[in-house]
Amino acid sequence: MSTPTATGTRLANDALAARLTARFSGLASDEAYGELTVHADAATLVDLLTFCRDDDAVGCELLADLSGVHWPRGGHDIELQPTTTGWPTFRLSQEEGRVEVLYVLRSIRHGHVLRIAVAVDDEDPRLPTATGVYETANFHEREVYDFLGVEFDGHPDLTRILMPDDWVGHPHRKDYPLGGVDVPYKHDKHVPPPDERAIREVIR
Amino acid sequence: MSDTTLHGTEAAEAADRATSADDPTLAALRAGLEGESELFVEGADWESVADAVRDETLIVNMGPQHPSTHGVLRLVLELDGETVTNLTPIIGYLHTGIEKSAEYRNWVQGTTFFTRMDYLSPLFNELAYCLGVERLLGVEAPPRAQAVRVILTEFNRIASHLVWLATGGMELGSTTVMTYGFREREHILDLFESQSGLRMNHAYIRPGGLANQVTDDFVARAEALLRRLPEKIGEFEDLLTENPIWNDRLRGVGVIDVERALALGVTGPLLRAAGLGHDLRRTDPYCGIEQYDFDVPTDTAGDSYARYTVRIEEMRQSMRIIRQALDTLPSGPVMVADRRIAMPSQQQLGADGMGNDPAYIRHIMGESMEALINHFKLSTEGFTVPAGQVYSAVESPRGELGYAITSIGSNKPWRVHVREPSFVNLQAAREMTRGHQVADVIAVVASIDPVMGGVDR
Repeated sequence: MSTPTATGTRLANDALAARLTARFSGLASDEAYGELTVHADAATLVDLLTFCRDDDAVGCELLADLSGVHWPRGGHDIELQPTTTGWPTFRLSQEEGRVEVLYVLRSIRHGHVLRIAVAVDDEDPRLPTATGVYETANFHEREVYDFLGVEFDGHPDLTRILMPDDWVGHPHRKDYPLGGVDVPYKHDKHVPPPDERAIREVIR
Repeated sequence: MSDTTLHGTEAAEAADRATSADDPTLAALRAGLEGESELFVEGADWESVADAVRDETLIVNMGPQHPSTHGVLRLVLELDGETVTNLTPIIGYLHTGIEKSAEYRNWVQGTTFFTRMDYLSPLFNELAYCLGVERLLGVEAPPRAQAVRVILTEFNRIASHLVWLATGGMELGSTTVMTYGFREREHILDLFESQSGLRMNHAYIRPGGLANQVTDDFVARAEALLRRLPEKIGEFEDLLTENPIWNDRLRGVGVIDVERALALGVTGPLLRAAGLGHDLRRTDPYCGIEQYDFDVPTDTAGDSYARYTVRIEEMRQSMRIIRQALDTLPSGPVMVADRRIAMPSQQQLGADGMGNDPAYIRHIMGESMEALINHFKLSTEGFTVPAGQVYSAVESPRGELGYAITSIGSNKPWRVHVREPSFVNLQAAREMTRGHQVADVIAVVASIDPVMGGVDR
């Protein structure tokens, strides 16, 4: 049994960022927790992914992960335990709501990893598909569409993947109601949201 | 009046009411009444598939309730005779919203959720999540916790591969392999139970270390398993390696090459069986696994049989790692010293059968008010984690298991996304089965080894 290892040269994060900004001017990047994040926009995304795959020094053969995070508009109190203790709450304020789509690329040849982040408006989130560059994006993009409502232009089959076909809404968005929706398959019982429930009400 | 007659009468009435001759439904209904039977199936995804294919193609729905689909996996097969021309996996039947639920629990409670995703490799889920949280916190588990994590996850890899052998063997008709595989797994689960209290879904690996110190007989139990398993794995090889049925069913079935595997995001034993020795334990080592000597088994055939040989060899290599880790097992605590993160983990079994840490209880109840306040806050609100995003990945039995964790600096995750190897690898099923026969679909899906708890999350 042979034991192949990475044969290329592992680029440090700053060298990797320099390599990308040399090709794509105006590309912002930051490094946190030892991980490089490159902030791209929707227009250059596919070119950037293609470059990352085809360039010899970057050489990312594998789209390891594709996920999304919703950052809603306005101020949000991030509650700790306000009702019982009065411990401090964090406040998150956002001018415009956005959905951040994260592409984690891995180079097996060289052994480095980088993340490409693309933020799109959360009212009408729309991105070009990455399936033309990495076929594995197919399921991932269906999942991001299903959970966060991002529409990927040019995707071969952009349908819901984990939620039922007739589901309304995108559950991983932060504005998706918790409770207060009809419970399917239980005679469409309506469970009120937590803040409208009587405190001792038992919901079966 | 029987149901059949009632149905027939209704159908006749409906046909009588028909006025529009070009309505296909009514035309078909008429045809049905005249003896040409037609079958109607409804469902959104079904129609999209059914409309797209030629007339000669037969569409067969396999699953979601089918004994050989590894749980609730539904496969829509397009068949030309007995040959598969297309395969569409339809998933989501086991979706439990774990990622969403975790956003409303504190960081420690997260392990309890994520351990339930891929139920055959629960410790890998805990490990990948905890490594991500630890990277955000800027802490590192003590050496003993790291070594025990390696030992337990490698045992978990063996257990997972044994279930793959067991279920895969059963699906191909060998119930002997099934009973042997589950029998050996039981012994590994005994070890897990003795350490964590649970046979599955342990929530034993926690951010900062382990939930509890390992028991005194941990090493003895692990040694006993290491003595037992090699012979038993040899039994599998005696049964299967030269077995003509096993060879005929697996060789040349479900072939995928390295280039296509990478394009489709396939990792783990499938990629290694295709010839690329990519293993995250080598390229991005975690928990000090780089200090142990082990090989990454590969094959070049890229078919289902190569996956069998690679997995068998992986079990042997896992035992090599465990052997070295046991020999060099450090002593000391299994949880970080930082009391803002660490729950008491040096518990002892009391006379009442409950675990408790007498020294810790004496400290918080008798000596320090601040320690009591800290314990109360830790138990109720949990600890806060600095804001940021990390992607932490480990080599699970099925491939790259990654946790993309986003924190905003509160006591709960803002978003945790899991890159599940089963979910991604399942995409390759279409390509692996094209041109094969229906019976080969079973062999291919078995060789991919998807765990639906992980696929649907």
